[in-house]
Amino acid sequence: MLESIFDPAFADSVARISIPILLAALGGAICHRAGVFNIALEGFLLMGAFMAVLGSHFTGSATWGTLSAICGGIFMALLFAEFHLRRPGDPIVVSIAINLISLGLSTYLLRAVFDVSGVFQSDQIQKIALIDIPLIKNIPFLGSFFSGQSLLFYLSLAIVIFAHFFFKYHQLGIWLRAAGENKQALEAGGVSSKKIQFIALILCGALCGLGGAQLSISNVGLFVENMSAGRGWIAVVIVLVTGGRALPLLGLVFLFGTIDSASLRVQGFGWPQQFTEMMPYLASLLALIFVCYRKLKFEKNTRGIRNV
Amino acid sequence: MTHRLYSLLAASMLLLVTFASLIWLADADFFKSIMAFFKGAFGGRKYAYLLVTISKAALITGMAIAALIAFRAGLFNIGGEGQLVIGGLASAFVAINLPFGGPAGIFLVLLAGMIAAGVWAIIAGIMKLWLGVPILVGTLLLNYPARYIASYFVSHPLRDISSGMPQTHLIEKSLWLPLIPGTRLDIGFIFILFVFCLVLIYCYRTVGGYEAKMTGLSIDFANASGLKTKKISLETLALSGAIAGLVGAIAVLGLHHRFTDGMLVQPLYAWTGIVAALMVSLIPWAVLPAGFFFAAIHSGASGMERTADVPKEIAIIIQGMIILFVASKVPTAFNQNIGDGK
Amino acid sequence: MKAELHEISVNFGTFCAVNNVSLSFAPGEIHALVGENGAGKSTAMSVLFGLNTDYQGNIVINDQHRRWKSPADAISAGVGMVHQHFMLQETMSVLENVILCSEPVNKLGFVSFATAAKSVQNLIDSYDLQIDQTQKVSELSVGQRQAVEILKLLYRRSDLLILDEPTAVLTPNEKNELFQSLSNFKASGKSIILITHKIDEVMMIADKVSVMRSGNLISSKLLKNTSKDEIQQNIIGGTLPKPIKRKKMHPKNIGFEMKKVIIPGLATRRKPISLKVYLGEIVGIAGVSGNGQTPLVEAIVGLRNILSGNMLLSNETISDKDVSARRRKGLSYIPEDRQRVGLALDASVIENSCVSQIRNKKFSNGYFFNLQHLRKFSEQLVSEYDIRVGTVKSKVRTMSGGNKQKLVVARELEQKKQLVIAENPTWGVDIGAINKIHQELIKMRDMGHAILLVSNEIEEIMGLSDRIHVMANGQLSEAMSSAEVTANKLGKLMLSHNDPTLSEKLEKMQP
Repeated sequence: MLESIFDPAFADSVARISIPILLAALGGAICHRAGVFNIALEGFLLMGAFMAVLGSHFTGSATWGTLSAICGGIFMALLFAEFHLRRPGDPIVVSIAINLISLGLSTYLLRAVFDVSGVFQSDQIQKIALIDIPLIKNIPFLGSFFSGQSLLFYLSLAIVIFAHFFFKYHQLGIWLRAAGENKQALEAGGVSSKKIQFIALILCGALCGLGGAQLSISNVGLFVENMSAGRGWIAVVIVLVTGGRALPLLGLVFLFGTIDSASLRVQGFGWPQQFTEMMPYLASLLALIFVCYRKLKFEKNTRGIRNV
Repeated sequence: MTHRLYSLLAASMLLLVTFASLIWLADADFFKSIMAFFKGAFGGRKYAYLLVTISKAALITGMAIAALIAFRAGLFNIGGEGQLVIGGLASAFVAINLPFGGPAGIFLVLLAGMIAAGVWAIIAGIMKLWLGVPILVGTLLLNYPARYIASYFVSHPLRDISSGMPQTHLIEKSLWLPLIPGTRLDIGFIFILFVFCLVLIYCYRTVGGYEAKMTGLSIDFANASGLKTKKISLETLALSGAIAGLVGAIAVLGLHHRFTDGMLVQPLYAWTGIVAALMVSLIPWAVLPAGFFFAAIHSGASGMERTADVPKEIAIIIQGMIILFVASKVPTAFNQNIGDGK
Repeated sequence: MKAELHEISVNFGTFCAVNNVSLSFAPGEIHALVGENGAGKSTAMSVLFGLNTDYQGNIVINDQHRRWKSPADAISAGVGMVHQHFMLQETMSVLENVILCSEPVNKLGFVSFATAAKSVQNLIDSYDLQIDQTQKVSELSVGQRQAVEILKLLYRRSDLLILDEPTAVLTPNEKNELFQSLSNFKASGKSIILITHKIDEVMMIADKVSVMRSGNLISSKLLKNTSKDEIQQNIIGGTLPKPIKRKKMHPKNIGFEMKKVIIPGLATRRKPISLKVYLGEIVGIAGVSGNGQTPLVEAIVGLRNILSGNMLLSNETISDKDVSARRRKGLSYIPEDRQRVGLALDASVIENSCVSQIRNKKFSNGYFFNLQHLRKFSEQLVSEYDIRVGTVKSKVRTMSGGNKQKLVVARELEQKKQLVIAENPTWGVDIGAINKIHQELIKMRDMGHAILLVSNEIEEIMGLSDRIHVMANGQLSEAMSSAEVTANKLGKLMLSHNDPTLSEKLEKMQP
């Protein structure tokens, strides 16, 4: 059974499925490092997915679809920034509100603009092209992981690498970290932490928008109501658990992608659909418990805290 | 004073503009929609729609109460949806298998729902206190397994095959919640009102409510003062879950008379309840009007869909926007440091 | 650079924090701005630094009127401020912190660390500061962190340096090093403003002294034209409070005892702690904060586990009891952090007064509490301790620091528990409140309670304690009778957290 799960096509699907979560998690990590408690990734992602289909359908081009996805994500980010940065709204309340608005708006527009319920599909939707890398694609197993993916896959990996240098050596990256760690110090130095956090939110919106595009016009070529299906929340959990650090984040994202892919495969074996759909969430929960318990033990030993 | 008036006006204008644009996008008639909205929320033959609003308000207020209790104690329980579903499922299960009916049966079914949901909530509490998993994340992640477990049960073991849908058998009539005579409104809302009064007493007059409030305002203060915060957290979570379970049971026994896949998730009862509680800054007596308010929006939207062909999701959008405006005006419900107590 | 404040006034709503204050600061001069907590000194300086842009009056720099929109403007004009609570990024290096917000960047926005490192090293060398710019700030001692803050000012070429309560967290040794640095700066023509409430230090180093009280400028004179007494009179606005009388006690019974307790988190050398507090005495633990006082107090209160050893309250073991059991046995606690641990700021005075005692028969029957009794009790506290607050239903957040602290002290002492643990009970509090709190602590002692006082302020320790320990790097010295001890001797025994000369100093400590 294991062989039939872990074949080259599996590697391909792990990569594909991980991309939206990776992009959302990257966006969330930027917000986290900058001190913005953004748990609205689900909403950002969903709006991106819808706008991608909207854009691609009406222009017949995947590029415009992707751009409109980015706009969708940024729109939600602007909403967040307005009510949390410019106005003193609690980030949790604002996040939940935005998740709701995104769900409502995407479903509403699905019905109002496309006149359908549930799923929208059309021939005019252009999917993002896949890129084959000549030599790599021949490597067994890993080849199908790294080659033949959408542009967004390579983009997200590039972003991870760029982010490392960005946060370490670029002035804006340093300021982002400073805003998250001690924003008073940044303010006392004369830099507006609100401005920095605004930039972080916009970047997050753009990245989540891209993630949405991968969901709707790359993995498939359609939009389903509530398409993000909890992936934004998984990204939130990953960001909170890893603290936005690149390597653990990548690890958890691909772990989730692997389990998600495996669960889809396993459905073919007659296991009830609900159980397989539950697997990724249970796996995330287990991973979470593992990480948190270790942290708790560490705290207990070094600090002897009695009441947690 | 004038500044507040101005910002209130500005917010209302913005909402109106959003509302109008959405209606325009749906190719609907503006005035027809407004009329349909009010009729859908408060009108109807013999006020039928108003009664539906009341029925919805009961469920939303119930979930708001559940959220209120937890948040007030500093516990970011956003797993109301999961607790609601588990409660509803358990109550349906017991209702179907109960050998007898009548008031005693109803009582047992409600109890079953409360216990099951309370346990589901405590799982997250155990994860926090013994494994260090933040409540926010733990309760959230339990939402999905709950949803899928319920879906599985009503699609396979408990399924009413003949109905062709993923749902349980119809519960026997003697377990249905009685209706208010002359209407189709079940007495579920009276239960919720009763719970509401109990919760008010809890918040304002009991030692437990007082200790929970102090724990929520500052956990370090609570610990240093000698409050048993671990016990308080677990008890509060159990209570919060139990109330959610009660709401689920009431929905099953009163509104639908069976458990259908997604019937508690689709209408967003849990999330609406959470935002209602947050919107009134966790002031206990205010969740009742807040719940009614949001129920009216949802009913009104249903009316708009029926009559003016406007997708009912407009309710969710308007609801979200109201939350945003209110959240940015009132003092935050959370005073704790990010990363703490979550 | 010459800087002046002309008729500055700052109002927070109806409260006047600074009232028509005019000051002038000259280059090559150390100007001390003194006054007790709440006098308005920091507020006035926050205007000069650009942190507060809502004021009346004028700022004049080198004879030109200036107005700041933010600290950035003040900084580019050459004004720099080191705040009481350091503003440093813990995970970043000294270098990154020093250049933060003024980084040298290339066209694409990338920081040229090499250039920056060179300039920073130059500054370090020319002023002889003992810092390694590659070290992470989290690894630095308090004195070193302050040096980093000052380095930030130097890097930005500040000519006017404002230091807010700089010696509050320093050991006597570090204080001397700081003063040496300040003299160097003065010699190179910089103007220095020292905001402080420590008159002895002012007498040591200042050239000019200005006194503020309740938002008003009382006097501004050269040091040689005034005296310590005159300054003190101006600060208080009346006669100095008389030293508190205490009864002669002959403590016989042990109220609280710790026997060879090992506490996790008490520095790397886990030395066992042993101490006794008799009924009818005040035992003081002196030491600069960060030397293990917090873990020690947490362990006694029950907020931290201990690894071994025993703690006894009235001869009964409490090591295995939780906080509420210890409180019931006879423990009360005045925490150092009144905002987070001592009070729930968004709750009312009534709610804050009764948390530990809510299950007492006096206040509740186990399920319902008696609002009348709670209210009466809190009104009692308010009147006995002269706590200024709207009504007992007002939220605690609206109270001033001193009144908040009085509430905490009142609430804890009113429980009349055997053991009182007071942790920096008068930090950041005005003189009137300090006096009242000290009086009440002595009263408790005279009534036969055991008081454990942990404090950073040497004067407080010496003024209140019967016996004194010093805590340094997690180790507790032997008890010394207060009659035999001088401030000097205590100072020598105190250490700073992460102090690089740690090992030599530890040799001098008793085993």
